[in-house]
Amino acid sequence: MKCNIKQLTIFLENKAGELSVLTHILSKNGISIKSILLADSTDFGLVRTIVDNPEKAKTVLEDEGFSVRFTDVFGVKIEDVVGSFDKAVSALSEAGINILYTYSFYEASTGIFIFSVDKDRFNDAIAALQAKNIEIVQAKHFYE
Amino acid sequence: MTFSKNESLCRDELQAWQLKHLKETLLRVYHLVPFYKKKFDEHGVLPQDVKSLEDLAKLPFTKKKDLRDNYPFGMFSVDMDQIVRIHSSSGTTGKPTVVGYTEHDMDIWAEVMGRAFTMGGVTCQDIMQNSHGYGLFTGGLGFHNAAERMKIAVIPSSTGFTSRQLLLLKDFGATVLTATPSFALHMAEVAKAEGYDIAKDFKLRVGFFGAEPTSEGLKNEIAHIWGIDYHEIYGLSEIIGPGVACNCKHSNLLHIHEDHFYPEIINPETGEVLPEGTRGELVITTLTKQGLPIIRYRTGDITSLTRIPCRCGRTIGRIESIVGRSDDMLLINGVNVFPSQIEHVLSKQEGITLNYQIIADKKGYLDKLEIDIELDEHLISDDVSYLGSLKKNLEHALLNNLYINVEVKLVAPKSLQRSEGKAVRVVDKRPK
Repeated sequence: MKCNIKQLTIFLENKAGELSVLTHILSKNGISIKSILLADSTDFGLVRTIVDNPEKAKTVLEDEGFSVRFTDVFGVKIEDVVGSFDKAVSALSEAGINILYTYSFYEASTGIFIFSVDKDRFNDAIAALQAKNIEIVQAKHFYE
Repeated sequence: MTFSKNESLCRDELQAWQLKHLKETLLRVYHLVPFYKKKFDEHGVLPQDVKSLEDLAKLPFTKKKDLRDNYPFGMFSVDMDQIVRIHSSSGTTGKPTVVGYTEHDMDIWAEVMGRAFTMGGVTCQDIMQNSHGYGLFTGGLGFHNAAERMKIAVIPSSTGFTSRQLLLLKDFGATVLTATPSFALHMAEVAKAEGYDIAKDFKLRVGFFGAEPTSEGLKNEIAHIWGIDYHEIYGLSEIIGPGVACNCKHSNLLHIHEDHFYPEIINPETGEVLPEGTRGELVITTLTKQGLPIIRYRTGDITSLTRIPCRCGRTIGRIESIVGRSDDMLLINGVNVFPSQIEHVLSKQEGITLNYQIIADKKGYLDKLEIDIELDEHLISDDVSYLGSLKKNLEHALLNNLYINVEVKLVAPKSLQRSEGKAVRVVDKRPK
């Protein structure tokens, strides 16, 4: 099972309208955004997004002058009940894995949490979660 | 009243003095500085070929690059046991330019500064607050040493810490202020904001300002706000530091102490010497210096020269307040900055491109330098704090190398304005 999801990280200057330039390029090229997270500082922001066609998205964004990078992340399926997110985070914590950032989105009554961890602990993280019977989302889930 | 008789010699006497000292200087550099021997030989000219002041035009120019190439002490004409002071300015490619003074050079420096103070009517009765930066730059210590020699009470307040400066200015009752023009305006602004009554609270009556190109309007504004006589001091470390020229009360033109610093005005393109009254690049030959004598030094400053005697009685020549530069040097709060120095610092940092834009602007009365840098097309990190530290690292490196505070802004690839495919390197938004 392949669980590496290719997240796009895109550099944005902090100025009005920058995000819409980016979303417009994706929409014009028929690329669907599955999830998006904005991290910002005073001068600039980083957009982290999961789309249905990351390779194409990177190409069209770079063509328009955006600075883009792929980062491997993974997704965890979580039931909409109290304690389920805690269970996933605890599994990683017990395995000594540092979560760099996490964000989520919902499909029907299931939530998917996206995690970014240190690159060299990626496989350990997957193993730790699977050992607790936590379902990892297959990468192909997002792609056509 | 003049400080020394050399300021008002008749032209023949002055020229005789200049020629005698020029000949001595040429012999000194030819025999003691291998750089000059090599350069004169390559040019096929010997010191004895210079028989008149006009013959100086036969000699090659010296450039800032020559000082760097001979870093640190290769241009000195004395051994270190004779040197009593070393100053330095930031370098273009990491290496600074270095200047050294003998005891005799310090005397000359104090003398030309003493002439400037005398032009402003300053005596040993005065208290001088010296708000020029102390340290490797010649500004702070140049004023300090000369004022002490004249028995003027000096307050070495240096630059910055504006509120404290104002407190000292009021409580110690300084009558003379020395600073960059922009800092003098900044001080006035802060004084108003802090509720000082400038006319009542301070005793200033004269100020010496320099190290920045300054319009007549701005000079009048500073004179008016502080209620002082404004004197402009011109200088550069390669020649001696502040004190190369200064205006008296009768003229806006600056008396250039040509018995020590022989001026020529040249066409910066062709190197040809231009007649009096024509604007061009100022070239200076030191006539009396020992530590670092310098022949036909290209200052890069654009001005004109006149030898019409001044109403004050001085006969030495006068130059206009500097009107511009013949190169791309920027002056940021009195500090020289070349775009190539910035590029050198940027070139050592991973994750950015060398597509950058230097934006000089004013924040209040002070100069502010911002550098917009395009990120690498392929973002090298997914981490906000990494980009934050990239910005901090660059600002730190620029402060360390150029001695100035720069605000770095990371921008998207290909976002900077371009002209015929090339990024526009310098945008100077400061009012002229």
